[in-house]
Amino acid sequence: MNGEKFVTLKVNGKEVTVKEGTLILDAAREAGYEIPTFCYQENLSGVGSCRICFVEIEGQKKLQPSCITPVMADMNVRTDSAQVIAARGAMLEFVLTNHALDCPVCDKGGECELQNMVWKFGPRKGRFTEKKIRFHEKDYILSPVIVKNSNRCVHCMRCVRVCSEVVGKAVLGVIGREAHQEMTSFVRSYLDCDHDGMCIEVCPVGCFMRLPYRYKARHWDLKSAKTVCPYCATGCRMTIQERDGVVVRSIARLGSGFNGRMMCARGRFGYDFLNSKERLKTPLLKVGGVFKEVSWDKALGVIREKFTRADPKKVFGVASARLTNEELYLFQKLVRSVFNSPNLDSTSRWNENASAAFISAAGIPGRGTGIYGAMEADCVFIAGAQISDENPVTDYIVRYTTAAKRNSVIIASSRAMKLDSSSRMSIRHLPGRLGSLLNATALSLYMDYPERLEGTPGIDGIKGKTVEGLGQVSGVEVSDIKSLAGVLRGSASVSILAGVDFLRFREGILGLRLLGAILKTLGKQLEILPLLDRSNQRGAWDMGVHPLFGPGYGEVKEKGLGVDGMLERANEGASDAFYIIGEDILSMYPDRAFAARALSRAGFLVYQDMFMTETAQISDLVLPGASFAEKAGTFTNQEGRVQAAEPLLSPKGEAKTDLEIISAIGSSIAPGFTGADPQRVFEEIRGGLKTYEGIFPGLNDSNGVMVKGSGNTLKEFEEVKEAVSDLGKNTSYPYYLITGNHLFHSGRLSRRSEILRGLLMEPVIEISSILADELGVEDGSRVMVNGRESGAVFSVRVKKGTPKEVVFIPENFEKAPANRFFKRGETVARVNITVHSSF
Amino acid sequence: MEKILLKNLNNPGGHTLDNYIAGGGYRAVKEALKLGHDHIIQMVKDSGLRGRGGAGFPTGLKWSFIPKEVYPKYLCCNADEGEPGTFKDRGIIEYDPHLLLEGMIIASYAIGAISAYIYIRGEFAFGAKRLWEAIKEAYEKGLLGKNILGSDFSIDIYVHRGFGAYICGEETALLESIEGFRGQPRKKPPFPAVWGLYGKPTVINNVETLSCIPSIILNGPKWFSSMGSEKSPGPKLYCVSGHVNRPGLYELPMGTPLREIVYNHAGGIKGGRNLKAVIPGGVTAPMLIEKELDVPMDFDSLAKIGSMLGSGGVVVMDDTTCMVKAAYIINRFFSHESCGKCTPCREGTHWMTEVLKRIEYGEGKPGDVELLEGVCANIFGRTFCPLGDGAVMALRGALKNFRDEFAYHVENKRCAARGGFGAIGVWE
Ligand SMILES: Cc1cc2nc3c(=O)[nH]c(=O)nc-3n(C[C@H](O)[C@H](O)[C@H](O)COP(=O)(O)O)c2cc1C
Ligand code: SF4
Ligand code: SF4
Ligand code: SF4
Ligand code: SF4
Ligand code: FES
Repeated sequence: MNGEKFVTLKVNGKEVTVKEGTLILDAAREAGYEIPTFCYQENLSGVGSCRICFVEIEGQKKLQPSCITPVMADMNVRTDSAQVIAARGAMLEFVLTNHALDCPVCDKGGECELQNMVWKFGPRKGRFTEKKIRFHEKDYILSPVIVKNSNRCVHCMRCVRVCSEVVGKAVLGVIGREAHQEMTSFVRSYLDCDHDGMCIEVCPVGCFMRLPYRYKARHWDLKSAKTVCPYCATGCRMTIQERDGVVVRSIARLGSGFNGRMMCARGRFGYDFLNSKERLKTPLLKVGGVFKEVSWDKALGVIREKFTRADPKKVFGVASARLTNEELYLFQKLVRSVFNSPNLDSTSRWNENASAAFISAAGIPGRGTGIYGAMEADCVFIAGAQISDENPVTDYIVRYTTAAKRNSVIIASSRAMKLDSSSRMSIRHLPGRLGSLLNATALSLYMDYPERLEGTPGIDGIKGKTVEGLGQVSGVEVSDIKSLAGVLRGSASVSILAGVDFLRFREGILGLRLLGAILKTLGKQLEILPLLDRSNQRGAWDMGVHPLFGPGYGEVKEKGLGVDGMLERANEGASDAFYIIGEDILSMYPDRAFAARALSRAGFLVYQDMFMTETAQISDLVLPGASFAEKAGTFTNQEGRVQAAEPLLSPKGEAKTDLEIISAIGSSIAPGFTGADPQRVFEEIRGGLKTYEGIFPGLNDSNGVMVKGSGNTLKEFEEVKEAVSDLGKNTSYPYYLITGNHLFHSGRLSRRSEILRGLLMEPVIEISSILADELGVEDGSRVMVNGRESGAVFSVRVKKGTPKEVVFIPENFEKAPANRFFKRGETVARVNITVHSSF
Repeated sequence: MEKILLKNLNNPGGHTLDNYIAGGGYRAVKEALKLGHDHIIQMVKDSGLRGRGGAGFPTGLKWSFIPKEVYPKYLCCNADEGEPGTFKDRGIIEYDPHLLLEGMIIASYAIGAISAYIYIRGEFAFGAKRLWEAIKEAYEKGLLGKNILGSDFSIDIYVHRGFGAYICGEETALLESIEGFRGQPRKKPPFPAVWGLYGKPTVINNVETLSCIPSIILNGPKWFSSMGSEKSPGPKLYCVSGHVNRPGLYELPMGTPLREIVYNHAGGIKGGRNLKAVIPGGVTAPMLIEKELDVPMDFDSLAKIGSMLGSGGVVVMDDTTCMVKAAYIINRFFSHESCGKCTPCREGTHWMTEVLKRIEYGEGKPGDVELLEGVCANIFGRTFCPLGDGAVMALRGALKNFRDEFAYHVENKRCAARGGFGAIGVWE
């Protein structure tokens, strides 16, 4: 970067040149010297308390902690002088005085920072013979995923800091002081927190430990594979580990991914669906209304027969945005060139015109947008995103990277969220009225610079409107809109984080496009980062699994139908064959009743997945697919970061990877179809898609590789008919229902994880504290939620800061499917809530 | 010598505003408001006043570090007075609270603070009450609040009560505590003058330091610097406790010899016994023995002989005192008050206490004294804040002069000083 100053200093006699302000620790590491650390942790505030990282600086009498001391020009630093070595040994002797030293029964044994450090730098024998402080006799359980032993604590405070500085929960603290201080929850009570296990990951010793991993293995018993989290499109890099064929742990390590040690509860604890007994193991053909196990040959034969006989226009394909790039690419190839059908999509939740317009407005075909770069902007504007629940690690990154300049974050959403506390301003707009807010902001900017902004595409749409009027429509105070516009005006660079609420509510996309265009015209450096909720959603779009564009956002010969259209046709009886991979349409399509009716008339329905989902049950043929842990391939996260994954296990029973199945179907109909070698498929992708040209993501790339620009803009999808939801007064159904993913869940996949289910058993509804007070309910109370057609009982979660009219139901619960409350074409459902008093 | 700080000690009702004004109080504020900020800072510099909180840092210099252009700025008065053997700030607060307030108003004016905090030791319930009353009186008279005395200077003073942690007397831990966090020292730099309360420039001064200010304004820096030692001028409060005939709080010129304080002012050793050791400046200060008693009680002279003036808490111990027990009790204080932040202090003071306790209870083992010295060496110079070093200094002071007594305890499992058994009389 320009204007940065560099200084040169000597470390152990070796000259190094580093940026001004660099810590001695980092400078020494850069020079190739190792300095042990406890309290230091990348991304956390520096405390300099453990005193293990001492270095000697020529001319200074005292040793200095290198983790909080910045370099100065011409410093002469020694990391290995006799004084330093003696001090290190002394600190380790101190740390061990009250440490339990019960390594043989400690889960951390073998991968413990204290063990390793003492082994390397410590005294061989301590002189402490007094009675050790013991905080408790037995380990205690802090949460369904955390077990604690304070007797091993080295008091580095990483747990406490990570919880408040990164996760944003601040549920950990310190009880007592001096050697009796204990890092734990408030009076050691059971935690009601995000259960992300960040405290476990950063704890250098065996204090915070994983409950599900307890006594399961030593790390040398484990076989590991590098992969990518299967849940949201933050796309956290992780390593999964198995023992005797059972996956026991997923970890995120410093230096192995852009996310460092960060993962959320889903990523860190949601791995155990892989071990589920309910995994599908053989192809199942429905004969006379019951499923019968059949061979692959038989299954493929039936498919060939049904799909070749079908009218191509009446063949539909949907593939989940959790598959690998290779699988998605091959899937679209299968549908387009073998089934000869233009009808394919990667999600049943969103309208294809809306997604194309969103992709275009967010500039996704243009290039990748790295999150860390985006965070350097003067203003980070988060809109249409339930970021704290849907993209937790993105939420962490926003929190800690902007902490020093917290003034930069502005949030617009209908629901309160955890990240609000890290923002300068949080704007609450009415559900489905983000567009009016964005337009009002655009208009406010236009009024400031009418000449400069004249002619900006889309500007005519807001002329003649007033900020007041638009503000009223969106339910936002004019003063808030003015301040938002003011901050944007005053920022030289702006990053917009645009989430999937744009697609859920099918509106605001035009506003996003207009605001983006305005900011660009005003000379702002603009980045738009889409926040997506399925791990490979961007990959699916990149690969052209979309009815309106092909691989690399190229044009298609014939535009096809999205899921909306497919279901409509199916409902009319105009569907011959339907091939679905991993997308549980029945539980996700926003009008459950309609989806059920349509799919029952869908002609021959082939459903491929890991589990017998609701859609699987109404299919004609079920194919057992594989999980991410059984696949080699690549994933492209929301930023456009392409990351490679390797398999840890082989598919269960006779199940096959989705790539193998797609390839086999293709070959059975069209001999010579691409084989199931992921590397070869990726070569084809690399050769055919500009975005992937020259991209070779390796397993050891800690940052993955960013996609390139496609050269396409999808400009033709600029115009989109946005949904206008009726928010009129309705006394029978006074509340607006918002849906999305719960913090502990992602679609229905995560419901197969026993551990995640353990974090949240029953369906919940989040309501505002105002409504809770009015109804006289609290966390855990039961309420009856009634829509026009259906109702269900939910457990209440109270949220401060959400407007009274807004309620949220996660779309993840099979017992109370959120999509039951919706009617086709309606993006904001209305519900009524009453206290449930059945007992 | 005319009393400056303890003028109202024996004046019933002297703590009220009326009495204070009758004695010429708040004249200094009026004078100060006529002067420029820099002028006042220069006067304080010229007076040679050094901080009475322990470190003896030149007060005027400290004020001059405050950047002009940053807004807002704060003043914090350190009234945590936790050092064992110290009760001087309490004397001022309880008997002459307006003296402190006047000093704070002038200091705030000089550095441009918009509000000032008095962080008072939690146990000083009576002192806090006195301050609240005094502040109320001052507001009523327009001496605090908006546009005081018709000037364009406004200042509010708040009293913040501590919760019983010695470490909160350390200036940055004090700031953390006021902000509502756990009382633990912050890393320095940045120093409070740049990044203090709520991240804004802040001056932290001791009660006694601030109480010297009004007289400097009224009588001029020359008058002040003519008192006491050359490099440590002014009046000083000495708190004498222990085995003396007249324990109490004495205001004397800085640099008064320790012998004079113990024998003349405090009336000598109780019961005509012999003096064994004196702690000159709160328990952190290494103890002195008879032959060192002629030392002038000021910052530099004490530093020269390896001790320190610290808080001016003089603790006198006669020849019946068991030094192992004294060292144990002092060390136990430090290990109990260790904030827990840094490894050497947290674990080291705990370790030392355990060993001292064993020796005191007749369970010493050969090598224990060497072990103590080893632990001291491993702590010293490596702690995050001076508390840990202080614990070492105190123990080293005892070991330097009374190593034999420790060895005797270890070897004979009993006390040489009392002829009895070690454990007798240790309070728990
Ligand atoms: C462990 C520790 C405890 C302290 N306790 C006090 C105290 O109780 N009162 C006090 O005025 N200064 C105390 N200090 C000194 C303060 O940090 C600070 O130096 C002083 O308040 C500055 O005021 P002065 O410049 O007026 O001396 C303590 C320092 C340490 C390291
Ligand atoms: S799991 Fe996360 S939120 Fe819960 S205590 Fe640990 S760091 Fe904090
Ligand atoms: S529990 Fe672990 S992370 Fe927390 S302070 Fe102790 S050692 Fe450090
Ligand atoms: S769900 Fe998203 S944020 Fe959580 S670990 Fe997985 S990729 Fe990361
Ligand atoms: S030396 Fe360390 S542990 Fe002791 S009080 Fe200071 S910061 Fe706390
Ligand atoms: S790592 Fe530097 S002091 Fe702890």
